[in-house]
Order: sequence, then structure tokens, then C-alpha cells
Amino acid sequence: MAARGDPGIIVRTFEDIDCAFPSNLSEALALLGDEATRGKLLAGGTDLMVQWESGSVDMPVRAISVKSLPELLVLKIEGAHVSIGAAVTHWDLRAAPVVRDALPSLAAAAATVGGRQIQMMGTIGGSIANASPAGDLAPALLADDASVVVASAARGERVMTMESFLLGYRKIDLQPDELIVRFEVPVRKEGEKEGFRKLGPRAAQAISKIMGNYRGAIAGDGTVTLFRVALGSVAETAVRLHKVEDAVTGQALNDGLIAEAERIASDSIKPISDIRSTADYRKWVGGRLIRGFLEDLKASPSG
Amino acid sequence: MFRHVGKGVTRLDGDEKVRGITQYADDLPIPDCWYGVVVRSPVMKGRLTSLEFDPAFDFDRVCVVTPGDIPGENVVDMMGRDMPFIAHDRIQYRGEPVALVAAPTRRLAREAAACIRPVIEEEPAIQTIREVVDTYKKSPDRLEKLSGQTIRKGSIEAGFADADIVVEREYWSGHQEQLYIEPQGMVAIPEKDGGVFLQGSLQCPYYVGPELVITLGLPLEKIRVKQSAVGGAFGGKEEFPTLVAGYCALLAMKSGKPVKIIYDRHQDILYTTKRHPSWSRQRTGLKKDGTITAMAVDFILDGGAYTTLSPVVLYRGILHTTLGYRCPHVSVDGHVFRTNTFPNGAFRGFGAPQAIWALESHMDECAEALGMSPVAFRRKNCLHIGDTTGTGQVIEQNMDPPVILERTLEKADFENKRRQSTRGVPVNGVYRGIGLCFFGHGSGFTGDGERRLRSKAALDLEYDDHGKPVVNIRISSTEMGQGTLTIMPQIAADGLRTSMDHVRCPLPDTKFVPDSGPTVASRTAMVVGSTVYGAAELLRHDLEVFASETLFGGARVELDDDRFTSAVTGDSRPFIEVAEAFLKIRGPHRVYNQFKLPDTIKWNQETFEGDSYPSYSWGCNIAEVEIDTLTCELKVRRVTGIFDIGRLINPVLAKGQIEGGLTQALGYAVMEKMNIVDGLYDASRMQTYVIPTALDTPEYDLGFLEYPYTHASPGAKGVGEIPMDGLAPAIANAVKDAMGIRFNSIPITPEMIFEAIRAKESAA
Ligand SMILES: Cc1cc2nc3c(=O)[nH]c(=O)nc-3n(C[C@H](O)[C@H](O)[C@H](O)COP(=O)(O)OP(=O)(O)OC[C@H]3O[C@@H](n4cnc5c(N)ncnc54)[C@H](O)[C@@H]3O)c2cc1C
Repeated sequence: MAARGDPGIIVRTFEDIDCAFPSNLSEALALLGDEATRGKLLAGGTDLMVQWESGSVDMPVRAISVKSLPELLVLKIEGAHVSIGAAVTHWDLRAAPVVRDALPSLAAAAATVGGRQIQMMGTIGGSIANASPAGDLAPALLADDASVVVASAARGERVMTMESFLLGYRKIDLQPDELIVRFEVPVRKEGEKEGFRKLGPRAAQAISKIMGNYRGAIAGDGTVTLFRVALGSVAETAVRLHKVEDAVTGQALNDGLIAEAERIASDSIKPISDIRSTADYRKWVGGRLIRGFLEDLKASPSG
Repeated sequence: MFRHVGKGVTRLDGDEKVRGITQYADDLPIPDCWYGVVVRSPVMKGRLTSLEFDPAFDFDRVCVVTPGDIPGENVVDMMGRDMPFIAHDRIQYRGEPVALVAAPTRRLAREAAACIRPVIEEEPAIQTIREVVDTYKKSPDRLEKLSGQTIRKGSIEAGFADADIVVEREYWSGHQEQLYIEPQGMVAIPEKDGGVFLQGSLQCPYYVGPELVITLGLPLEKIRVKQSAVGGAFGGKEEFPTLVAGYCALLAMKSGKPVKIIYDRHQDILYTTKRHPSWSRQRTGLKKDGTITAMAVDFILDGGAYTTLSPVVLYRGILHTTLGYRCPHVSVDGHVFRTNTFPNGAFRGFGAPQAIWALESHMDECAEALGMSPVAFRRKNCLHIGDTTGTGQVIEQNMDPPVILERTLEKADFENKRRQSTRGVPVNGVYRGIGLCFFGHGSGFTGDGERRLRSKAALDLEYDDHGKPVVNIRISSTEMGQGTLTIMPQIAADGLRTSMDHVRCPLPDTKFVPDSGPTVASRTAMVVGSTVYGAAELLRHDLEVFASETLFGGARVELDDDRFTSAVTGDSRPFIEVAEAFLKIRGPHRVYNQFKLPDTIKWNQETFEGDSYPSYSWGCNIAEVEIDTLTCELKVRRVTGIFDIGRLINPVLAKGQIEGGLTQALGYAVMEKMNIVDGLYDASRMQTYVIPTALDTPEYDLGFLEYPYTHASPGAKGVGEIPMDGLAPAIANAVKDAMGIRFNSIPITPEMIFEAIRAKESAA
């Protein structure tokens, strides 16, 4: 509702939104299942408030707060994976021992999101549902081969891989009556190594120009036994680099392979220019991040 | 001699600010206050034919001001007088006001604003300094010139004839946003006598009134201006608040209601002044032994849409384009050209950072062209006592540029570290380099401006709210974070020779304070500080005479260390007792003092010859940088700096100014970037306009050398702006040292470093 020509004038205010505070998941799903009570899902609000205020997204009439739903606050190891509720905050991710041990590169990514205030309010569910290619958590979930669990009152739970869940620029595979309940992320096994690197315009409080995560392992003879890698801010969504993974897995990790992986990575991404960086730089540095990850893996104790 | 001056006295306003008690413009409790909004042009340039008012909206509920409602002339009375308060015919930039609206609620005001639509016949616009310079090189007549000035010394032709080689380079710099924490805010309250009372976030209370007289059609006495606490300014609240004050006053006068306008961050970035983008062409004649024979400079500023303060920014700019070096033949041509963007304006340094960015990058280029080290080249050419500047000003005993240079080189261990620089061949994936910048900054108004300004200060001996005697400092100088409210009581208490407990410095209100000039140009500590000191000495004299006559039976009395003592009788009484007696018998007492520029300072404003500043602060910065070849990220590791800012009034606050200013300069050098897209800055929020955080700041190793201003006590020169001047070229010189690549535009980003390496590789 910005005035014509002047991006500075927004008429509506947050007080205009009618916000419901359901006390558990089934109440929330019931509200969401009925078109008469359905509202915009609101977690920490750290994306939504900015979008509403700037006018890039219209303010809704109704909202449903999911920040305190007990089912969305779980954070524990269940068998071979870590179960992370959608309303778990960045702060929890960076601080909880279970995440730091089992998923160190997710913890590292969460630690770079905004500042403390944002980390205390912003949630993993909000970050993934917002589906910005610059969201810092998605590459970690991709590299860790996570699944996402969504639910609706009508159809119950639905489980997808992260890769199939991310459909496009600000688009996810979520129906209007569904919400994200939790993520299931395979625990890092003995000998597996992870890494995260974010390039932003400054050292803190920065939206990424590009960032990435990997999980990998090498055998005693230097052969790569596992390499999963993902980059953000290089395409419409965060992306797994399967070509790179295929090229290095089962190969001896030497300088030639690293150079080859760097080239494949750079060739396989088609980033854009925007206010934060240029397409040319992103394309080049995407390859450089892969080089950095492989050098890191090569230097690991088991390598 | 000084008891308080020179001490790191804790900020007097620190406690209330840290506790969050301080009231800023938006916090002022004003009953029945309406909210103002500006309706703006959606196009950059054109002819405004009409305003359409949406018939569905009931405009009776709000107050709308269009040019026809302006009681006086529709002009902003700054230099040039070319800017209307509200566009009535020509549109010169996107965002230019076409109407003003006020309403009882912010939402209603915004709704109304959204229902007013200007109809404009659009015309082609010019947006960037690049376009300006392209046109300047081909057909300068096609540009609209807002201001121009030259400097001539000797014969530039003779200078180049003397030269063995000539080095010519061009340098660019972009917009920079002040990004003060508190956005622009003002409230206007109509007064019963038909006047208007303005209170808000501003640097210069005595700019606002005089600049509004012809617009509001009110005599100056009927425009009262009070500063509310200011949350940062950096020049952004120098001339700009006059505009917001005018909008509020026009709305208040028409509606009869108090009206406030508080910008949000997005509006504040889009629709307020920025640092002028610049282009410099430095052409220097050199002898083989390194002697500079000629300096010719073209210096262009992008003025934005209207003249505003650009001429004075240009003057300071051209005066710093050759400052610091001995050269017999100088020729500087400065121009400000119009672009169709928001008028650019005051920002810490005021033209000097742009000039010094080019000059100090270029001095390294000259050294390299001669095969000399940057140090040897500067040693050979930098100003010594007795040398003359580009305008013929003789460097006097109270400044010693070479000492600053030498001390900083020693402190940073420059020569040794430079031997370890990578010079284009990275070691373990890292380029490493060190760079130098040596510079001066003129203190106070240009030339004899301080003579014309006749700054005044007053001290009032009166009762405070608790009935205790207090000495109130009455000046129009403002606190905006830099420490005025702390250093002035330090200075006054030393002039009085009392404890600081009896001295206060209230926020200025033009009803109570004389005009001490604006709080700009690194002038407050030097000019107003010495005027306050003089006033305090006068007050001390009056009190000593009173004490002698009334309490000491005629014996000669001296006030020192908070006590009046007679050397003859040995009698002694505390300050407070005498002050109470004075107030009881004589009543409140005011003393005035006025700044005096020494007659020896001579300036020709037409030819730009003579003493261009009453004094100079000097500095030298050394930057150590690393560039990671994996990502092309640039990290400034360490900055060594020594500054001569005259006598240190408060070393803690001075260091704060230097560290803060250097960090702002770091942003200018490597981060802060705006492009113009369809007439608006693309980086228009804190999300996209990126300034350094504490984690980005290098290690600072700082020191001071004190060469006091000799013409008045306590002898401060200026600290406000000089830290902004030197870091960008020091970093560019360090990057050159590390990579062997010269960057001639700032900010230097990883993207630019990547492109430069690629270009170098494809050339090889
Ligand atoms: C100052 C600042 C700095 C920031 N810095 C960073 C940064 O460095 N890196 C980064 O990645 N992000 C950053 N962000 C963005 C933001 O913090 C994250 O994307 C955040 O995680 C969003 O979570 P939220 O809970 O606040 O989401 P909200 O704003 O509440 O919601 C975001 C979206 O998710 C939807 N949603 C929320 N929960 C669910 C759910 N359970 N199921 C389905 N949909 C749901 C909402 O409907 C909405 O569309 C920053 C934001 C700010 C304001």
C-alpha cells in the first residue's frame, strides 16, 4: 500500500493484524485448516516484520503465532538423527551441546545469523519457510541431508527431503493448511567432518553474499568416502552441488582433484548480481569455497 | 595552570544516556501534537503541472500545505537560493517535496499523503558523477554548474617546464551516508504572538532561524530554536534540519497545532544529504631527485540537485587538494555540478576526505614513478616550518608536520614492515602490505570566516533549580556525541579556577544563548572553547572585585582552586560563599566574550590567496592490510596514527573521536557503497547500507602530539573531522603495496579486487 512513487510511505501498522496464539499443534492446525480462521504463520517475526514494514509483502489481516507451540520446540537426538522443532531459535542452535557436537556446521551457521537479538527471536522454521537464497541455515541442512516434517489437520504428517522441499525463489512445498513441525538431521558419524563458510560485506550482522556447508570423510589412504556440499546465494534456492560430490567421491583427494572440483563448482552455478555482490564474483568464489572445504577436509586428522 | 583541561573527565551526559533517560525529539511530550508527512516527486526531473487530490479522501480532516500556503517566499535561504521549499514548477530530484500534510495521527497523515499525486512531465535526468565527468571531458558547457573556484600560485606552465616527469591520475569517491543513530526529527509549536518555537535534532540552532525568515515571513525574534538531545549527526544535521524545521513550521502555522516530523530510517537514508561524490585529476610535475615542481588539480563534486552548502564544501575540498606539500606552482580548478539526486551536503570532513583521498593516493603514485619510497618522497616534499601552502600561507611555529610523519613511521615500524610486504606475490595464500597517508585539516571556518562570524559566548552566574549558585555556559554549540557538554565545563572551570561542580552547559535555546556560530568545521574546541575561556576569565575578574569590595574589606583577592584568597590578609572563602553573596546583593550576572581572529591572518576570498585557515591539525595514518587469495576479502589488521590536534582538552574523548572517525573512514574505504537506481539510493536501509561493526575494526595504535593553537587559550585546534581524512588513501596505498595493484576508486570491495586480479592475469 505504498504511495505511488514514494517508497517511504507505508500506511498500515502492525496493530492492524489480528493475531491468534494457539497453545498446541492441533489447535494451530485447526485454525490453519479452516479458511475462516487461517492466518499468516508468525514465528520470531524477524523476516515478516521487515517485509511488512518495507511494504515488500502486504500485511495480512490475521496471523497465527507458532513461536510457543511445544511440538515445535523439541531439540533432541532420536536414534540416528537430531530432531529440531521448527520454532527452535538460532540461539538454541548455536548454544545447545547436542547441535554443537552432532551438527557443528549448522551451529556455526546459526551463530552468524544477525546479532543476538535476532538469534533469540529468529527460528529455523522461519528461516527455511522464508526460503530466501541468502538464508544461512539451508546449506547446512542440505549438506547434512536433512528431512523436513510438515503437518496439516486434514492429512497429518508429510516427510520430504530438504532438497525437494525447496522449490524456488521464496517457494517451498507447503500447502496453505500446513506448517513445518520439525527437521530431522542425520547425526555426524565418527570420522565425518563438517565446515561452514560465510562471506558477507562485514564481519558480523551481515546478510550473506554467498555461504556454504559441507560434510565429508576420507579414508586412511586419502580416498574421499563422503562429500556432500551445498551453497547459498548462488541460485534461486540454496543448492546441493551433486556434480562436485560425484566428481570427488571415491577419488584420491589431491591438488589436481581439488582444482577440478573448484572448476566444476564454479561452472555449475549461475548466480546473479544484486546489491550485495556481482554474478562474476559469486561464480568464482563459489568454486573457491569448495576448494577451501576440500583443503580443510584434506587437512583433517583422519586424512 | 590547567586543572581540568587535559584530564579524561567522564562525560557529563553519559549517565543519563546510558540509562536511557535522555529525551530525543521523538520522546518530547507535546500535548495535541499532529504528525507531518512530506509528499514527494516520484520522478527525477520534469515540469510539475498539477497536483491531483483523490476525491475519495476527506481532506478536511488534515492540513495540507502547497506553495500557495507559504507566507513568505518559497525558497530555502541557503547559498544559491535556488531551492524551493516545495516544488511549484520544476522538479530537480526524485523525492523533492510537492506538498506537506499533517494530521492528528501518523496513519491519517500517511493516508492523506498517499492520496495526493503530482502530475509531472518527465525530462531526461543526470544521476551520477561518472556521467558528469564524461560530459565534463567532452562538452563541459552542457553541465549545470552550481559553484566553482580556483587556486593559483606561481606559474603552472613554468612548473611543468621545470619537471623531468609528469604523473597524471584520476581518483573517484562515492556517496557516503552519515547513519547517525537517531534519525531526523523536529517539532514546531505555534506561539501566541504568531511566532513559532522549533525543537529538534540539530547541530546549528542559529542556522535554522535566519534561514527560515523569508519563507515563514516572520521576524527572526519570532523564530525560537531549541536543540533537543541529538543522537549523532556527523554533519547530517548541519544544514538539513532547516528543511524539516520549515516543513513543521509551515504545517504548524497553517493548522495552528504543534506538528512533528520524525523520519524513519528508510526515509532518512533516501531523503537526506550525503557526502558529495568526487572526481579528482591530479597532475604533478617532478624532478628526478623527487622535488615537486608543479601541482595541477581538477576537483569535481556532484552537488545533487541544488546548491545548498556545496560551495563551502568545494572551498574546503580544493584547499586540501595540495595541502601538506611544498610546491612553487599550483593550479587548482574546482567545480560543483548538478545531478538530479538529493542535494549532497555536510559530512564530517566537508570535502577534505575526498581531496585527501586523491592527493595521498597520488603522492604514492608519484613516488613510485620516481622509483622512490613513499617515505623518502614525503620527507623530501612535506611542509616544514617557514614553507608556504598552495595559497601562500606560511607554516608557523605552532605546527610541525614533519615531526608527525616521523613519529608515526617510528611507532608503526613502517620501514621494517614494508620490507615484508608481498608486492604482488602472495605468500601462503595471503597478500600483505602497509600504506601511509600524511595530511592536515584546517581548523575553523575557511579564510577569515571566523572574523566575519564573530562568535559569542556568555556565562550566567545564577541560581539553579535547587536555589544553588551555578555558572551556566551560554553557547549555541551543540552536543551530538562528540563531548561539547563535557569539555566546555572543563574549560570554563579552568578559566574561573573553580571546581567543575559549579559549572553547567545546558542545551542551547536561541532565547537564552548568543550566537557562537555553528557546530561544524572542527571549530568548537578552538573557537568557542577559547571564547568560553575568555568569558570565564572575565567572570572571575568580576567576582574577585566584588569579593574584595564586599567581603575582604578592599584587600586584593584572587580566585584559585575554588577559593577566594587575599595574599595580604591571609583570609580565604570558598567560591560558593562568594557566589551566594554576589547573587543576594547584586542578582544574576552575565558576562559576554567574543572570538577574535588575530589581525595577522589575511585572506582574499576572491583569489583564494593568504591564510586559508587560522590553524591546522595534522595527522599521519599507517594501515596494514591482508588480502585472502581464496576469497579476495580485504582485512585491515592494524592502523597506527598520530595526530596533532593542539592542546588536548579531554584525552579520553579525543581518542574516542579518533577511533570513531577512523572506523567511519574504514567504512568509506572498504564498505559503504550506494548506487543510484531510478533516482534513489539502492542501499536505503541498514540491511543494505553496510557500515563497520566492532568486529570489523582493526587494532588501533594511536598517539597525540600537542602543538597548541597559539592565538588563544586553552589552545585546542580541532579533532572532529581529521580522523575521517587519511585512512582511505592509507588503505589504498597498503593494498598497492600488497598486490601491486592501484585502486583509484573507493570503496575497495572484494568484487573489485577480484576483477582487478582477473584483468591483470588476462593482460599478462
Ligand atoms: C537485523 C536482521 C538480521 C538478520 N540477519 C540474518 C542473517 O545474518 N542470516 C540469515 O539467514 N537471516 C538473517 N535474518 C533473517 C531472519 O532472522 C531469519 O530468516 C529468521 O530465521 C526467520 O525466522 P523467524 O522465526 O523470525 O520467521 P518469521 O519472520 O516469523 O517468518 C518467516 C516466514 O516463515 C513462515 N513460517 C514461520 N514459521 C513457520 C512454520 N513453522 N511453518 C511454516 N512457515 C513458517 C512465516 O509465515 C514467514 O513466511 C536477519 C533478520 C534481521 C531482521
